[in-house]
Amino acid sequence: MKRIRISRCAQQLLAQPSPRRPLCPCATVLQRNITPHNHRIQARFQTTAAIQNNEDLEIEIEEPSASEAIESTSRSSAPQRRRRMRLENLPSPHPSAASHSAKLSALRARLSLHQRFPLQTLARTLVHPSADPDPAFNNASLSILGANLLGYYTTEYLMCNYPRLPMSVIFAAQYAYVGPKALATVASEWGIEAAAEPGGEVDPGLLQFKRIKSGDDVPPALRRQAPWKWNVTTTHKIVATDEFGSNNAPPGPHSLSATAVPMEEAAQSFVRALIGALHLHLGSPLVKRFFRDHFLSRHLDISTLFDFRTPTRDLSRLCAREGFEAPVARLISETGRLSRHPVFVVGVYSGKDKLGEGAGSSLNEARVRAAAAALKAWYLYRPIEVTVPSSMEGELDTSKWKPNMVDCGEVIV
Amino acid sequence: MPLSAIRTVAKPQNGVGAFILQCRKLEFHYCDWAGSSRGMNAFIKSSLPSFAKRNPQIEISVSPRPRRHPVIRAHYINGNQRAICVRNLTNEGVREKAELLRDASGEKNKRVNKPVTSINESVRGIWSPFHGAKIQI
Repeated sequence: MKRIRISRCAQQLLAQPSPRRPLCPCATVLQRNITPHNHRIQARFQTTAAIQNNEDLEIEIEEPSASEAIESTSRSSAPQRRRRMRLENLPSPHPSAASHSAKLSALRARLSLHQRFPLQTLARTLVHPSADPDPAFNNASLSILGANLLGYYTTEYLMCNYPRLPMSVIFAAQYAYVGPKALATVASEWGIEAAAEPGGEVDPGLLQFKRIKSGDDVPPALRRQAPWKWNVTTTHKIVATDEFGSNNAPPGPHSLSATAVPMEEAAQSFVRALIGALHLHLGSPLVKRFFRDHFLSRHLDISTLFDFRTPTRDLSRLCAREGFEAPVARLISETGRLSRHPVFVVGVYSGKDKLGEGAGSSLNEARVRAAAAALKAWYLYRPIEVTVPSSMEGELDTSKWKPNMVDCGEVIV
Repeated sequence: MPLSAIRTVAKPQNGVGAFILQCRKLEFHYCDWAGSSRGMNAFIKSSLPSFAKRNPQIEISVSPRPRRHPVIRAHYINGNQRAICVRNLTNEGVREKAELLRDASGEKNKRVNKPVTSINESVRGIWSPFHGAKIQI
């Protein structure tokens, strides 16, 4: 049996409600200052300002004119013409919208950024060049600055704390801390949401970029490219490409304007641009603290990054170079040599010093593991007291500076 | 090349350096007419401004949901949502539920039966039967 709604049942007892919708345009004027009695007509209370009428969707901009240069002398004192422009016609949100965005101020509080950091700049860091090609409104320049700062702080941390790391491991560690994938993960952990489509009417707290349509290819600049030469040297990787030892240089932020990009690319550019903007607005001490809190605090076990090919040969070269006695592998203990799963524990000794130890199911495996352990022990040396170069920036008192150890480099076979 | 390296991504440890609150957004839905949302309406009128001021990292939206029970829906950084129906609760009860949602991590509830979970390796090392005083070859 169908029930009658209670709200309807007693309706005849209530006073006649005011008409829900104005019937004629004249009635609109009369209706405006009357509070609606019907419970279905309710004012919306939101932290994000609700759009009330079409006037809010427009914004006044100064109209640029081509003949301005010629006429500038004649009408220099004349007031500039202003034109009303619809927000949908803007490629990215107007900077004035940033101060009303709940998402932006929530993001600023979530990252514990200082109140001095303006929301307008935070909104600009969220605009990828693919959404807005105008360099005055997108994050391309900020992201270049931020990428350099991130690279600088990570490199100095790694090179001062692990002075003996081989170059390829430094590259991999850089990649793990501030590589493209790491930055995209960081952005998603900060709760960055992407706008479905960039535009002037979109909330400025959303990441603005032009999405790749489903079925379309990744733009050629972001595709994997053949290296420029068949033998790419380490020097070339250091000098000519990015800080992660890639074979090719990555596309510059300005070159990606007006091409559709994947979300990871836009998220990385946001994180880099945020670092750049923080540097400009709050200064380097706060950026260093931000970097330490959000990037260096991430967990990375550098000893798992090594991938040795011939550790025994490397170790004997290392011992020859450093003037140690030649390494000798000796069996420390074993069990079940004739069984299905034997275990051998082998140590690598140089004279009377044990350099490393490893366990394996064959004598050779154990010996190789022991040599790898010895090499890791050498490469992962950490000085106890370290002063990074950036900590002395702008300091006149040089007595606090302790010179860092510079190693002669990895073993070359 | 005698040595190559493996590319990985460093793992996040929320709270070790910076702490990011996992609740991203709270939506408060109320009804002006129904009696079940009397407490919710009182909460929105009296306590919500101070709640929002105390938790600036959460985006808060308030919207009507006519002729339905009042609901608080939370959105988390990992993409999950969690909703609690706060019908017939008082102002205090609604505040408690809002704080419960704010403090949740957004993960599904899991049974924790190990005293310590860590990604760091043990300081004492793993016990080995081959390293002791009695071993003789």
